[in-house]
Amino acid sequence: MSSAQIEIQLIASMVAIACAIPGTFLVLRKMALISDAISHSILPGLVLGFFITHNLNSPLLIIMAAITGVITVVLVEFIQKTKLVKEDTAIGLVFPVLFSIGVILIAKNANDVHLDIDAVLLGELAFAPFDRFLVDGLDLGPKSLWVIGTVLLITIGLLLAFFKELKISTFDAGLATTLGFSPIIIHYGLMSVASVTIVGSFDAVGAILVVALMIAPAATAYLLTDNLKKMLVLSVLFGVFSAIAGYWLAHGLDASISGSMTTVLGILFLLVYLFAPKKGLISVLYRNKQQQIEVSLLTFLLHLNNHQEIKERHINHLNEHINWQRVKSKSVVDLALKNNMITIEKDIISLTKKGKNFTDKAIDYIITNDHSKIESIKDDFFLFRG
Amino acid sequence: MESQKIAIAVDDLTVAYNYKPVLWDIDLVIPEGVLMAIVGPNGAGKSTLIKSILGIIDPIAGSISIYGKSYDKQRKLVGYVPQKGSVDWDFPTTALDVVKMGTYGSLGWIKRPGKKEQKTALESLEKVGMLAFKDRQINQLSGGQQQRVFLARALAQDAAIYFMDEPFQGVDAITEITIINILKELRKAGKTVVVVHHDLQTVPEYFDWVTFLNVKKIATGPVKEIFNDDNLTKTYGINYKVSVQQ
Repeated sequence: MSSAQIEIQLIASMVAIACAIPGTFLVLRKMALISDAISHSILPGLVLGFFITHNLNSPLLIIMAAITGVITVVLVEFIQKTKLVKEDTAIGLVFPVLFSIGVILIAKNANDVHLDIDAVLLGELAFAPFDRFLVDGLDLGPKSLWVIGTVLLITIGLLLAFFKELKISTFDAGLATTLGFSPIIIHYGLMSVASVTIVGSFDAVGAILVVALMIAPAATAYLLTDNLKKMLVLSVLFGVFSAIAGYWLAHGLDASISGSMTTVLGILFLLVYLFAPKKGLISVLYRNKQQQIEVSLLTFLLHLNNHQEIKERHINHLNEHINWQRVKSKSVVDLALKNNMITIEKDIISLTKKGKNFTDKAIDYIITNDHSKIESIKDDFFLFRG
Repeated sequence: MESQKIAIAVDDLTVAYNYKPVLWDIDLVIPEGVLMAIVGPNGAGKSTLIKSILGIIDPIAGSISIYGKSYDKQRKLVGYVPQKGSVDWDFPTTALDVVKMGTYGSLGWIKRPGKKEQKTALESLEKVGMLAFKDRQINQLSGGQQQRVFLARALAQDAAIYFMDEPFQGVDAITEITIINILKELRKAGKTVVVVHHDLQTVPEYFDWVTFLNVKKIATGPVKEIFNDDNLTKTYGINYKVSVQQ
C-alpha cells in the first residue's frame, strides 16, 4: 500500500467514526432526516465563510457552516411548532431553500473558485492526500486528516463527558428536565456536533453520502443489540469496516470511494436486516410462524381436554370441527405427537398425561399470567417466552 | 392538620396550549405527608398540573414553590414517575439501567454513576419486586413490569415528594397492589405523594387526600371530608354518585 492509500483509508475511517457517534443518537431520537437537512443547508454557510475570508482553508468556513446547520434545526423546529405543517414537511421546506441559496451564491460569485456543486454533493476522497498541511515547509500530512481528526477528538471527548446526559435526555426528556439536565441544551449540543461533523466530513464524502455514514451504521447496530454502549461500538465498527472495505471495492472497480463505502454500508444493513438473530426479518417471521403453530396446538389440546366423547376426538371430526385445513391439522397433530402429548388409536385421539399436564399449566398461565407456572415448559415453546 | 408543613404551594397557576387555557388560576396547597390523588375527566389538566410543578411545562402565569423555594432549588427533593407511554420502550437499555437514571439527579452533570448508584438501583428494583428482571431489555417487560421499573426509578431518586402520572394505567392486579403498598410505605416514611388517578372507586381505599380538577380547581382536602357526590358532580359535570361507584 502506498502512503496515499493508507491516508485515504485513515481519513475515511475517521469520517466514519465521527459520523457514527452522533448518528447513533439521531437514529434513537428518530431524527435521521435532520442529518440530511443539515448536510445540504450548510452550503450557504460555507460560501459565506469563503466570501468573508477568501480562503477555502479558513476554519471560519467550518464555523459558519456549522452555524447554518444549527439554524436549519432551529428553523425546522420553529415551523413545526406553529403546527401548520408536520415535521417531515418542515424539513423538506427548509433545507432545499438554504441549499439553493448556496447554489446561487456560488454561481453568481464564486465561479472562479474551486467550489463546484459536484464536489459538494459527492466529495472526492481520492484527492484528499494531495492537499497537504504544511507548516514552515514541513509536511504534516493531508489537511483533511487534521480537520476530521480534530472533529473526531471533540466528538469523542463530548461523548465521554456527556454520555449519561445524552442517554437520559434521549430516553426520557421529561425526567431529564426534572433532574436538571436541560434537554434543550443537549439537543442543540448534539445538533452542533452533528453539524460540525458533517462539515468536517464534507470534503471527503460530500453532502449526500455523509447521511448514509450517519444513519446506516447506527440503524444496523440497532438491530443487533439491546445495549446503548454496544450499539455505539457496533456503529463505529460498521462505519470503519465500510470505510476500508469501500476503499478496496472502489480500488477494484475503479469507482468513487464514497459511493463504494455507502454501497458496503447498504449491503451490510441488508444482511443484518435479514439475518439478525433476534430483530432480523427472517427470525421475526420464523418466530411468528412458530407462535401461530403453538397457538393452534394449544387450541387443539384444549379441545381434547374439554371433550371426552369419542366422536369429538375422531381425527376427521377434528378437521371439520376446528375448521382447519388438512395441512395445518396435520402439522399440529404431528407436533403434539412429537412431544408425546397425544396418542392416536384407531383414529381416536387421546391426551397423554404429559399433554394433560401441559394444557393445565398453559390454562393456569393464561388465567393468572404468573410466569412461575410455566418455567418447565418455557424452553420447548416460543409462545411462552418473554 | 393546621400545624402540618406545606410541601407544595401552587399560586394562581395558569397554563395554556396555543392560547387555549388548560389550567385556569389554580391555587393549591399540598401538606407534607399526604398521599394525594388528582382526579378529573380527560383533558382536565391533571398531567399538565404536575408537569408545571416539575418545570416540564412553562406556565403563562402563577408561581410554584416546593417547601417554600422554587423548583430549581429543590429538584433533589422531588421524584417523578411519568406516564408509561411517554418514552420509547424500544430504547436499547435494561431495567437496571433505567432505574439507575433516577440517581443521575444527585450526580449532576458529567459525573458518572458508580457503585453507590448501582446499589441504590438494585435496592429500588428489589422493593418493586423486579430484581429478577434487572438485565431484561425494557421492551421485553410487560406493561405492569415497565410501570414498576418506572416506580423503582423514582425510588432511586430518594426524594421527599413524589409525583406520579397515572401509575395504575393498564397494569395488572399484582402490579397495582405492589405500587399502592409502596405508596403507602412512602407516606408512612413521611413522604408526600401526588398521583394522577383515574379510577374513582379506589380513591377512598388508596388515598387520604384528594384534589378535584377540571381546568379549574374544584376542591382539595382530606378524602373523608370532600370525596362526595357534590364534588364529583361539579368535576365531572354529570350527576355522580359515590355510592353507586362503590
